[in-house]
Amino acid sequence: MPEPLADVVQRVSVQVRWRRAEYFALRGLFYGAIVAVAALVLKSPLRGRAVPVALVAIAVGILAGALWGFVKRVPPVDAARLADRAFGLHDRIATALEWAARPDRTPLVDALVQDATARAASLAPRQIVGRRLPREARWLPAPLAVALLVLLAPPLPLPSGRLPDLTPAGESEETKERGEMAMMDQQRQPLPRDQVKRSALEERDFNRRAGGASAAMSGDLSAIFKDTSIANQRPDFNSFLKKGDERLRMLEQADRLPDLQSDYTASQYKMIFRRSKELTGGLRPDQISPQKLRELLDEMERLGRKNSGNWGSDVNEAMEALEGGQQDRAMDAMEKALNKMRALEERDRGGKALKGGRDASGRKDRGRGGAGMPDDQDFGEGEGSLPGKGKSASPKGEPSHRLRGTPYDVGVEGESRRGKKDGYDTNMTGKGGQMGSRLGYLGVIGQYRKMMEDSIAREQVPRDLHGQIKDYFQALEER
Amino acid sequence: MTQEARVQEFVAAFEKLRAEVEKVIVGHREIIDHVLVGMFAGGHVLLEGVPGLGKTLLIKTLAEGLELKFARIQFTPDLMPADIIGTNVIVEESDGRKHVQFQQGPIFAHILLADEINRATPKTQSALLEGMQEACVTVSGLSRPLPSPFFVLATQNPIEMEGTYPLPEAQLDRFLFKLRVRYPAIEELNAIIDRTTHARPATVERVMTGAAVLGFRELVREVPVASHVRDLASAIVMATHPAWEHAPEVTRRFVRYGASPRGAQALILGAKVRALAEGRYNVSVEDLKILAAPSLRHRIILNFEGEAEGVDVDRLVGDIVESAEARVGQARELFLR
Repeated sequence: MPEPLADVVQRVSVQVRWRRAEYFALRGLFYGAIVAVAALVLKSPLRGRAVPVALVAIAVGILAGALWGFVKRVPPVDAARLADRAFGLHDRIATALEWAARPDRTPLVDALVQDATARAASLAPRQIVGRRLPREARWLPAPLAVALLVLLAPPLPLPSGRLPDLTPAGESEETKERGEMAMMDQQRQPLPRDQVKRSALEERDFNRRAGGASAAMSGDLSAIFKDTSIANQRPDFNSFLKKGDERLRMLEQADRLPDLQSDYTASQYKMIFRRSKELTGGLRPDQISPQKLRELLDEMERLGRKNSGNWGSDVNEAMEALEGGQQDRAMDAMEKALNKMRALEERDRGGKALKGGRDASGRKDRGRGGAGMPDDQDFGEGEGSLPGKGKSASPKGEPSHRLRGTPYDVGVEGESRRGKKDGYDTNMTGKGGQMGSRLGYLGVIGQYRKMMEDSIAREQVPRDLHGQIKDYFQALEER
Repeated sequence: MTQEARVQEFVAAFEKLRAEVEKVIVGHREIIDHVLVGMFAGGHVLLEGVPGLGKTLLIKTLAEGLELKFARIQFTPDLMPADIIGTNVIVEESDGRKHVQFQQGPIFAHILLADEINRATPKTQSALLEGMQEACVTVSGLSRPLPSPFFVLATQNPIEMEGTYPLPEAQLDRFLFKLRVRYPAIEELNAIIDRTTHARPATVERVMTGAAVLGFRELVREVPVASHVRDLASAIVMATHPAWEHAPEVTRRFVRYGASPRGAQALILGAKVRALAEGRYNVSVEDLKILAAPSLRHRIILNFEGEAEGVDVDRLVGDIVESAEARVGQARELFLR
């Protein structure tokens, strides 16, 4: 590059550097002033160091900005363009600078370089890069004024409630709390039975037996609790939160919760049995409350009337014995009634509502499925799933002639009710809704299970839900 | 001959030719300069203006100043393409034999004046397409080159006038510049009256040959262009496209189609000629700014809103140039870059 051109570019570059240094120094001053304000606001904790910190922040901002602006690279082409504009050279210097080094230079380029060089040599050095102010410069008085105000004002009160206390007392309290937390965590863990025994209490008893002059050993038992950490325990908020979280997690998995209604209230025997156990648990017959026993017997009698149970005589016997003050006889009679109740429930569960099940008498009572059906097609007592009671050699009877050909009957035990079967819906509204279910529970389950398997096979169900759906049907079958 | 001498020769020839034209044409300095720039750049020029402003006279005067073959076609609605290009005719020899001979049309000239070009049908207007772009015409499957240099100077009346057919976009794009001939100022009008009503009209001397024109065209192409000037030319042309992501608001609002790459070529070539005419060896940003309107005004198609609001394309081009310049680099950007 010819020397005059290089000189012009160099001069302009230096001017640009200085202007940039001014520009970025002002920006640095602005942000340094903001830091200074923050330091002065905290002058009470910083004490005598606030003012030096503020001054240093301002100085660092100015110096860093100026340094950044000065060392920032100035492309020679940009400097040449600035020179062209400033001196009215019609892009001669920039074009010459660019084309002088190009291999595809045309013959006119040499003339251009000579022309540009001659014009550059005749230029009088002057400041061509104007001063530019950053946007922050307009707002610069604000942080400076605030800094001055805060400097002259008394120290601002700072919120101290949540600030950490760094004194030694605080450390001991924190250590103590940490110890309590650890102990409570230990208590929450399932420990072996021998570890649950309070070793601290044992040691304390030992100390007391060893004798001493302390006030805690003066024979006052309350001192034991006064002295232990149990007495000092405050409500453990963490454990409270943890229990709450566990409950929330259980609520999120509501489908996995046991069906309490089904397990304890739907089964009348279980409900009565549970109440009787609660009444008699661990007590002799003479220790049982006659009033509560009478209430239980009344409940059993009511259930017997409602379900045509055959334990009414036993209940009456128990009531008579109770009135005679013979509570042991009353308990025996109640035990008999419970056994009969259990037998009835097992019978219902084995062949409920199905023709050919074990509930031949119940079927007759309810008047189902008898019309137009020969008796030899009925399976009678013992043709159900109860082992060893049927006429068949097979322990579960002969299922082939009882099951329909439809795949939806797979898994249905016994034979579905007679009559027109035009659908599988079990929840009907209107006129049809008043009629009883026309398909057995297990048949419906099988039907839906089949649909579920088809849907999963056709990938209509998201893969993530496959396991959950299968678990659901598995739970239904187990129930 | 040194490069400096070649450039000086070009400057002298340019000024001499301009002086010859100005012997006849009063005023219109800018129009004359742009016509000369278009000629030395190797392009064609379209002059638009109401009748009586001296468009035809300007072109005739220019042709008189050049030692080149000149032809004039007066475009009318019944003009046919063969009337421009030429046709095959059967010629009988002296011995009685007959053969087909191509009869050249007026397009076979160095300088072609297509007067009132928009009074012919688009079919006839399009007869010039091949000649303007490729400097040859094809008749009966045979391509015939046109003489070099070939320079079309067309005039047209404003589109609002009766009996005009708008030039198709493809035809317009072939013109390097479109110049708008304005009504003269009162001083110029006085000079026109004095000069044209004089007993002895001015005579124009031939100051340049066709070979000189071709030599200057080669010189023009050697003028270097800095990358930032070229970038500005590209940015200006791109800013005429409403679909461009950095297009200015006026373009998005009023423009339907922007300039083609021929627009950028016209801009740079014209800037090179202008730089040489001023004795410079390089193209400057100012050259681009001055030649932006002649190069782009006929290449920008306004949309309905632009037409309805009567948007002046020249002002639109000015806004586009400003936005492109701001994008390519102003002083502030250079300072902080």
